[in-house]
Amino acid sequence: MRALKEVSFDLHAGEVHALLGENGAGKSTLIKVITGAHQPDGGRITVGGVEVSQLTPARARALGIACIYQQPALFPDLSVAENIALRLEKTSAWQRVRWAEIARRARELLQRIGAEIDPATEVRELSMPEQQLVEIACALGAGARIVIMDEPTASLTQKEQHLLFAVVRELRAQGVGVIYISHRLEEIFALADRVTVLRDGESVGTNPVAAINEASLIRMMVGREVSAIYPPAESAPGEVVLALCGVGCAAGGVRDVSLEVRAGEIMGLAGLVGAGRTELARILFGITPADSGEIILHGRRVAVASPRIAVAAGIAYVPEDRRRHGVILEMPIAANMTMAIHPRLFPGAWLRFGAERALALDYIRELAVKTFGPEAPGGSLSGGNQQKVALARWLATQPKLLILDEPTQGVDVGAKGEIHKIIRRLAKDGLAVLMISSDLPEVLGMSDRIAVMRGGTIAAMLPGHSDAHTVMAAALGQPGKAAA
Amino acid sequence: MGKYFRELSVAAALVLLLVVLAGIAPAFFELQPLLSRLTAQTPALIVAVGMTLVIICRQIDISVGSQFGVCAVVAGLLAAAGLPLSVVLLASMAAGAAMGALNGWLVAGLGLPSIVVTLATMVTWQEALRLFQQGKFINLPAGVQWFGLAQQRGQLTLIATAVVLLTCAAWAMKNLAAGRHVYAVGTDAEAARLAGINPRGITLGVFILLGALAGLAATLNIVQSPQVDPKAGGGLELKAIAAAVVGGVAVNGGRGNLWGVFVGLLLLATINPALTYLHVEAYWEKAIQGLVILLAVVADGIRSRKGGAK
Amino acid sequence: MSQPAPFFKTLLARPEAVLLFVLVAELVFFSAVGRNFNTADNFANIVRHSAEIGLLALVMMPIILTGGIDLSVGSLLGLCAVLFGVFTHEWHIATPLAAALTLVVGAAAGGLNGGLITGLRLPPLIVTLGTFSLFRGLAEAITKGTMTYKDFSPAFLALGHERALGLPYQGWLFIAIAVAISVLVHRTTFGRSFQAIGFSPEGARYAGLPVQRRIATTYVLAGFVAALAALVFTARLRQARADAGSGYELQAITAVVLGGTSIFGGVGTVGGTVLGVACVAVLTTGLKLIPAIALQGIGSELGSLLTGALLIFALAGGVLAKSLAARRARRQSLAKPQPQPIT
Repeated sequence: MRALKEVSFDLHAGEVHALLGENGAGKSTLIKVITGAHQPDGGRITVGGVEVSQLTPARARALGIACIYQQPALFPDLSVAENIALRLEKTSAWQRVRWAEIARRARELLQRIGAEIDPATEVRELSMPEQQLVEIACALGAGARIVIMDEPTASLTQKEQHLLFAVVRELRAQGVGVIYISHRLEEIFALADRVTVLRDGESVGTNPVAAINEASLIRMMVGREVSAIYPPAESAPGEVVLALCGVGCAAGGVRDVSLEVRAGEIMGLAGLVGAGRTELARILFGITPADSGEIILHGRRVAVASPRIAVAAGIAYVPEDRRRHGVILEMPIAANMTMAIHPRLFPGAWLRFGAERALALDYIRELAVKTFGPEAPGGSLSGGNQQKVALARWLATQPKLLILDEPTQGVDVGAKGEIHKIIRRLAKDGLAVLMISSDLPEVLGMSDRIAVMRGGTIAAMLPGHSDAHTVMAAALGQPGKAAA
Repeated sequence: MGKYFRELSVAAALVLLLVVLAGIAPAFFELQPLLSRLTAQTPALIVAVGMTLVIICRQIDISVGSQFGVCAVVAGLLAAAGLPLSVVLLASMAAGAAMGALNGWLVAGLGLPSIVVTLATMVTWQEALRLFQQGKFINLPAGVQWFGLAQQRGQLTLIATAVVLLTCAAWAMKNLAAGRHVYAVGTDAEAARLAGINPRGITLGVFILLGALAGLAATLNIVQSPQVDPKAGGGLELKAIAAAVVGGVAVNGGRGNLWGVFVGLLLLATINPALTYLHVEAYWEKAIQGLVILLAVVADGIRSRKGGAK
Repeated sequence: MSQPAPFFKTLLARPEAVLLFVLVAELVFFSAVGRNFNTADNFANIVRHSAEIGLLALVMMPIILTGGIDLSVGSLLGLCAVLFGVFTHEWHIATPLAAALTLVVGAAAGGLNGGLITGLRLPPLIVTLGTFSLFRGLAEAITKGTMTYKDFSPAFLALGHERALGLPYQGWLFIAIAVAISVLVHRTTFGRSFQAIGFSPEGARYAGLPVQRRIATTYVLAGFVAALAALVFTARLRQARADAGSGYELQAITAVVLGGTSIFGGVGTVGGTVLGVACVAVLTTGLKLIPAIALQGIGSELGSLLTGALLIFALAGGVLAKSLAARRARRQSLAKPQPQPIT
């Protein structure tokens, strides 16, 4: 599968060009091509009228292309001025640091973008948006002609957003071309001159912002009907397994979440990156425990303070980051599959290798894991098969509630279909499933009901047969306008 | 205030201890014993400077006591052979730098954890030295002690050397690009690499520097007595690490200030004689040293957890 | 099930096999060269002199397996030896009770390490460096640096000097603890969690394992066995001193790392640790029996020197072998057979 198919994109000096698309539409791949991190298999890139071949990160920087990421890569122990200096110049080791000059330049750059930050502060003392501003100052100092901002407002407060907008306008006024990626339509209308919508790795169209409205943008993003074939729903939802009442966690940015998941039901959890879906899953699994609200499982209130309590209560969580959290790559498949059921499978802490092997073989067969055997290390498997191992680990706990976080991300098409069938079968057997997914067709095709999150809370609760427009509109915060 | 809170609180503890001593045991401040006590700390101070750089770079070196011993014997033998002190000093520092380079190569070049590498080199150098020297002291010719000066002038020279070195190192860590690069590597080696810094080179460099400083410290130690004790470096690594940790150097790299380490070393060095003057048995020295280290890391741990929650 | 590989290749890939080969070579060499090496008395002697370090290595192994380290075990041995002396000589507690009390204190001291490391998430290196100093310092403070406790009951001293079935008592103790730790690490869910934590603490947490509790367990265990080693040490030397066990932590870590346990955590076997202990013990004892070396009286220094050098080579060799293997694996990955589903 190709992430990008013949995309044409142009950016003028002194322009803010918004880039819009669903998760996985190809935005980050396009950015990687522009910053030289990825080599395109075809096409041309021209900067300032000169064609550039073999773009590398270093050459991109030399050409004045700078990218501001959501998580700034600064040195937290060093001062703002020093961070800017380290980014802008390669000093030889025995050169003296000219503090006064560094501070002066930092102040000048920060002033240019209207940021009120003392250059002497240590970066660790700064808030995330302030760190982004430092990044922007670095980009400016490096003489950037093209600044790419990847969802810069994802974690900002209202006030901080306005500051950032002022900075972006300032950049535009100074003749810098800005590529602005955001999911927030109101930002695009407030800030951008033109907007390009990407879908499935293709450019759907580029329009001046003045010529379009929100409804047409949403239509462009969603486009086609759900085309992939998903196994049909076979289950009738039963009793309520999980009920959340006003659950929140300040550290995770989740607030006031209320929802119910029934036995035999697949509840899709849709939303954009940063909407708080994974954070909600981490609350339910006790990794960042809730600090408000109630989690009720089978009618009983549970205080999920740690993953152990969650497991004991019958909650299972197949995490998003398979390689770091889902599977221990160095350990055998069998050990990975039994890791969450030590107390039950191994009474008295005594390992029973026969039972472990039998259980692993059962799941290898049941889930059709392609492997040399239960002794093979988890890291020897392909992504889809690793995901099946992670799934087996949690099915072995015989949970009441299964939380799946991006269950088919980075999985090839064949394994994806198999995983979908497994999820369906589990629901049919009476399991309550909460499925987080950024793959909109997957959410629409698999879910009995869809909860849409936005800004850390549930923005809409939709029936499973909703259309993509409605879900996308709710995720973008434009519920009324989707119908137009 | 906020920025140097940690260093200032250690300084406050030192001042408090000194005030108590002034009230109870004014004899503590008599010039000659005070001078002798300060002189005795100069080798530890010099080693602590190097150790601080290594810790800021997110590494550790527990072989420095053994290196110190080897350098002392090298210096002692050359001095006993009648070579001028400048040659002795250079040879001793070169020996230290070579041992530091081995550590640095194993850590930076092969990516091995510094704790185990320096554990191994610590044992190796220590036993090689025992094998070579059999614990025998080396008698030095007459002109070596106190550089041939009067005792008090010799002591003042030593103290001045150490303080000048400390000042230069503190200045360099603040004002030379190389110093800032040490902080950057200790904070985030990968980000440092992206910023055009060579983390391996920096790591190798701090180990070599620590070795060379151990050589310098060993030479400045042998001039304090008529004989060279081959076991003189025992426990020096712990003293240096303790001074750094108490002085506010973060054990996971990137943060620390040489003046804080200076104050930390003075505090630790004052505790033992203070105990004697306050009529507490001196055998408690090590226990109190351990307790101070634990207190310092616990305080840092609680502070960083609070900071993390913000 | 797994890919077929030549027998010798898989054998040599295991550090245990290399160690076994080294051990056999040492035995052959010293039998040929050493004086009175191949005697029952000398064998007993080797066991006596390496039991304490062996015990410390056995409990250091699970700690390193979780990716931690404990520098304080040698100091704790000294503190426990002194406390045992205090219990019997100053508090006049009966020897068995005093021994039990010593074990409790050891476990509690290990609990202090574990508590600080897991409770405040402090780095094990610096915490145990602090307690390394604290424990030794307390031992010195209690004995005022010089005092030694002597005249222990003969029944207790037997622990250090008597033999059963030709093996010294402490040898039996070492075997018992080795079996116990081996079972713990390789046959129980504890060992499974140690391994998982060593490979990936985050991954272990997401699997619902009690990560912090398991880590704390390893340090408590180390404290308990360090106290046991203190009793053995006291019985062997017939006296309790504050400097008991100085430097033992280094030798224990050396034995564990030589025994193939990865200092990065996750990989290692107790059998390898036992072989590591044996290699170091035979080497250091055997050297003393070579006439030329015995004459010069440099056996112990030479033994320690070789141990340190061996550790450096083991570390560097491990890394170099790994990068070579990785390079070869990259070349072979093209020809790798595809796994088939099991039906």
